[in-house]
Amino acid sequence: MEHRLEDWLEEGYAGSFRTACLILGNRADAEEAVQDAFLRAWRFRDALTSVPSIKPWLYRVVVNSCYSKLRQEIPHRERRAGDGELAERMASASDPASSAERSEVAGVVLAALQRLPVSLRVPVVLRYYADLSERDIALAIGRRPGTVKSRLHEARRRLADDPDILLLGANGALDDPVEA
Amino acid sequence: MPTLDDEFLATVLRDVGDSFSLPPAGPSAILGRVHRDDDERAGRRRGFGGIGHVEDGVEVADSGEPGPPPLRTARRTVRSTVRSHRILTAAAAVLVLLVVAGGAAVLGSGAPKAKTFGSAAPVTALPSTTAPRSGFGVAHTPAGTKAAGSTSAGSGAAASTPGLAAPATSSAPTTTNGTATQNAAPGLGSDAIGQPARIEQTGSLDLTVAKGAVSATVDRLDALAGANDGFVASSQTHSGTGGGTPSGTVTLEVPVASFSAALAGAESLGKVSQLTTNATDVTAQYVDLQSQITALEASRQQYLTIMTRASSIGDVLAVQAQLDSLQSQIQQLQGQLAVLGSETDYSKLTIGVSETAAPPHHRAAAAAPSGLAKAWHDSVHGFVAGTEGLIRIAGPALFALLCLAVALLGGQLFWRRLQRRNL
Repeated sequence: MEHRLEDWLEEGYAGSFRTACLILGNRADAEEAVQDAFLRAWRFRDALTSVPSIKPWLYRVVVNSCYSKLRQEIPHRERRAGDGELAERMASASDPASSAERSEVAGVVLAALQRLPVSLRVPVVLRYYADLSERDIALAIGRRPGTVKSRLHEARRRLADDPDILLLGANGALDDPVEA
Repeated sequence: MPTLDDEFLATVLRDVGDSFSLPPAGPSAILGRVHRDDDERAGRRRGFGGIGHVEDGVEVADSGEPGPPPLRTARRTVRSTVRSHRILTAAAAVLVLLVVAGGAAVLGSGAPKAKTFGSAAPVTALPSTTAPRSGFGVAHTPAGTKAAGSTSAGSGAAASTPGLAAPATSSAPTTTNGTATQNAAPGLGSDAIGQPARIEQTGSLDLTVAKGAVSATVDRLDALAGANDGFVASSQTHSGTGGGTPSGTVTLEVPVASFSAALAGAESLGKVSQLTTNATDVTAQYVDLQSQITALEASRQQYLTIMTRASSIGDVLAVQAQLDSLQSQIQQLQGQLAVLGSETDYSKLTIGVSETAAPPHHRAAAAAPSGLAKAWHDSVHGFVAGTEGLIRIAGPALFALLCLAVALLGGQLFWRRLQRRNL
C-alpha cells in the first residue's frame, strides 16, 4: 500500500496536535512532540502492514512522543505551561459568541485535567477528545482494555472530586456546559 | 448536583481541544524535517557503499574502505544500547551480580561438605607419627535394617569352617560391612611407598542367640578364632543369676587376611543386632617409625666410629653418653614399631553375645515399637524429613525465583522499549 505523508498530515495533524496540547498542556511542547511523532511514524511506515488500523497506531506514536517529551522537558514544561496560559488561550481562542462562563468551565476542567497523572490523563484525552474506543486506547497506550477501563473510571472519579469542579457544580455551572 | 458524565467531558474537552489553533507552519515543518531525514539516511546509505558517509553528524572523508570498522560499529551499537536501555542494563547487572553471588554461595556451601567427606574418606598420606590417625569405617546395621550387599561372604565362611554348624536362628542381616571395609581399607598401596599397606582393622559385633545358647556360642567363637589362625584375646560371660539376662563378650584376634572370614563366621552364629567395623591406614606412621629408626641407627654407627678414634677418657664418656641416648630412642621406636606391626598383623573383633532379643548395650533400641507407635514414629520422622527438605530447597528456589523475576522484569522493559522504538 502506497503511503503519502501529505495525506497523513491532512487527516491526522490537527487531531494529533490538539491531543498533544491536551496531554502536555502547552503548544510549544505539543508542536515538537507531533513533529517527532510524524517523523518517527513516517520512518517506520513499513510497520503499518502489521497493524489493523492506522488511527490508533498514529495516536500511539503521538502518545509515546508526548511521554518522551514529558520525560525530557519536565523543567521547561513547568516553566512554560500553566493554568493561566490555558485559561487565556481558552478565552482568546473560543468562539467570540461564547460566554465567559463557558470559558471558565472549560478552563477549570482543563486545569483539573492537567492535575491528573499522565497515566490517567492520556486515556481521558484519547477517549473524550480523540474519540477512540477503549480497545483502540489500549492499542495506543500499550495496555489491556481492562486497564484502560479502570483508568478511565479512576480519572472520572478524581475529576469529579476535584475541588474546583465541585465548586463549579455547586454554582450550577455544570448543568449544561454546551448551552452555557 | 450534576456529575461529570461522559457526554459532559466529551463536550468540554472537544471545546478546549478545538480552541487550540493549529500552528500555520506545522505540516510544512514536518514535511521539511521528513525530507531532510530522508536525504540524510540516503546519504548515510551511500556512505556505507564507499563514496563517503556522514557519521554522527560529521562528514567522514572517503578512505576507500567499505564502511566503519566492525569493532567501532559494534562499540557504538553497544554504547547506544546501554544508553537507551538503562533499566535493562541495570537489571542485567543485578542479574550478573546475583549469579556471581549465588555461585559464590554454592561454592562456599560446597567446601564444608567436601571437608566432611574428607574426614570420612580414606587418608592417602599420613604426614608423620605425630599426626592423628585417620580412621574410616562403617558403624550401623541395627536389626532389621537392610543394607546394600549380600550375605554370601558370611555363609561361605561358615560353611568352610569345620565343626561350626550355623544355628537355626541364624539370619544375618544383609550387610557387607566387613567386605566393604576390606575394600576401602587400603589407603596407601604398596606402590606408594615401596612396601605393603599397613591396615589396622577392628570390628564389633552384637549377636542375639537362642535361649541357653550363650555358652555354646562363646565356645564356637573360640573355635572360630582357632580356625582362622587367631586366638581369643579375652572372654567374659555373665550367667544372669543376679536377675539379668545371660550374656557374654569375646574378643578375637585374627590375622588381617582372615578378618572377613572370621566376621562372616561370627555373624552366622546368631542374629546380628549391631555390626561395626573400622579400618585405619597406619602405613605412613609405620614407615615413619622405620625411617626414624634407620636414621638413629646411622647416627649410632657414626658415634661408634668416633668411639674407636677417641683418645681420652673424657671423649669416650661423652660419646658413650650419646650412644646410650641413641640406643634408648632406637629401642623405644622399635617397641612402637612392634606394637604397630602387631596391631596391623592381627585384627581385633569384639563380639557381644546375648540371649534376649535386645542387644546387650542397646536395650532402648530393643524395645521395638508396636505397629501404631511405629506408624506414629514414621509419621513424625517423615514430617521432620519433609520440613528439612523444604528448608533445604528454599534457598536455591528463592534465588531462582529472584533471577526469574529480574529476567522477566528486564524482558518486559526491553519489550516495551522495543515496541516504542519501533513506532
